[in-house]
Amino acid sequence: MNGKKEKISIILAGLCIGVISIALVLLGNPANMGFCIACFLRDISGALGLHQAAAVQYIRPEIPGLVLGSFLVSFVTREFSPRGGSSPMLRFVLGFFVMIGCLMFLGCPFRMILRLAGGDGNALFGLAGFAAGILCGVFFLNRGYSLKRTYRQPVLDGSAMPILQLALLALLIAAPVFIRFTETGGGPGGSHAPLIASLIAGLLVGALAQRTRLCMVGGIRDVALFREWKLLMGFSAILVSALAVSLLTGKFSPGFQGQPVTHTDGLWNALGMLLAGFGCVLLGGCPLRQLVLSGEGNADSAVAVLGLAAGAAFAHNFGLASSADGPTANGKIAVVIGIVAVAGIAIVNTFTKREEKA
Amino acid sequence: MICIATCFSHFGAIRFIRLCKEQGWPARAMPVPRDLSSSCGTCVRYEGECPEKPLEEVEQIVELTPSGYRPLYRAQGS
Repeated sequence: MNGKKEKISIILAGLCIGVISIALVLLGNPANMGFCIACFLRDISGALGLHQAAAVQYIRPEIPGLVLGSFLVSFVTREFSPRGGSSPMLRFVLGFFVMIGCLMFLGCPFRMILRLAGGDGNALFGLAGFAAGILCGVFFLNRGYSLKRTYRQPVLDGSAMPILQLALLALLIAAPVFIRFTETGGGPGGSHAPLIASLIAGLLVGALAQRTRLCMVGGIRDVALFREWKLLMGFSAILVSALAVSLLTGKFSPGFQGQPVTHTDGLWNALGMLLAGFGCVLLGGCPLRQLVLSGEGNADSAVAVLGLAAGAAFAHNFGLASSADGPTANGKIAVVIGIVAVAGIAIVNTFTKREEKA
Repeated sequence: MICIATCFSHFGAIRFIRLCKEQGWPARAMPVPRDLSSSCGTCVRYEGECPEKPLEEVEQIVELTPSGYRPLYRAQGS
């Protein structure tokens, strides 16, 4: 695939993903939340009883769809490659704090784009913080940051994440009593598109993201590192198509107040996404990219996804997640701790490793 | 010959560029081409040869030929 073809395919993929995201809202997902990796992992954590927030509990089929879409495509194209061993525990911690940042903002980078496309001005603060966080990460990348190399792993290790997704789908369909589902009207968890539509959407987005390597963090990172705009074009294409469909379907509602599942505290919207952007650069990709890589057999990314899910459970068990009323005091403390922890990981894995090499 | 070296980290690519420059080989960092790998990391495109002892951060080195990529080196266990 040459550079021009790569650009065209990533733009087309972005346009498709934007349309799919708004279609999911029209089919029942919460407003401006056609796709949100952070929100969906949080809902799954709740459904499994890892947190007790009754308003956000549902096994979102989009997540298994994403992982399985990536798995199927990478298997067919012989790109499925079980690998791991690159600082898995640090990846868990980074994933954990990325989720804390996302739940301060109330959305992952993907939802940030969809919130912008829906006219939510608060997401502009998130975007500014997100870009600043990515630049923090790039600062350390240029000075030697590394989580060390990956190694080939047994096939079962790389297949565990896709197999877990099948188990999640089985739990969703069987709906045993120990799985918790938010009742309709009981909160964001109670709003969802039909199972089959959500699953197909997840499969499509997973396949498209695997083929194009679409990544919300990679776009800004590659511009900063190489002046390479390809991945950012995919990010922009999602915004353009989601905006167009929002306008056409009357879902566009510009402003700051009264936006769905958001708050208006600009400073903490920005700081939450700064933490998310910073952590994602150190992880090598946004939450969407971590899911796609886990489908390709990357066990390190699977561990990062588990960190994200654990972060979501903590956020709701300890009152760290924001709500429409705004951020909580606990959430603000957690974000500050997160920024310090992520900076600490960056410093240790930049400067001490550089001394080891010298 | 024109070669591409993919690396396990961005800093590995920067170090490889330094090695190329010591050899007098023109080199630049860029994102890994999609048709070479599904990884979205950093690689080095350079005009030179396959080093006898590539750095430990180098995952693979391929030569760009009119018919595609010709593998020259792959790190053990990758």
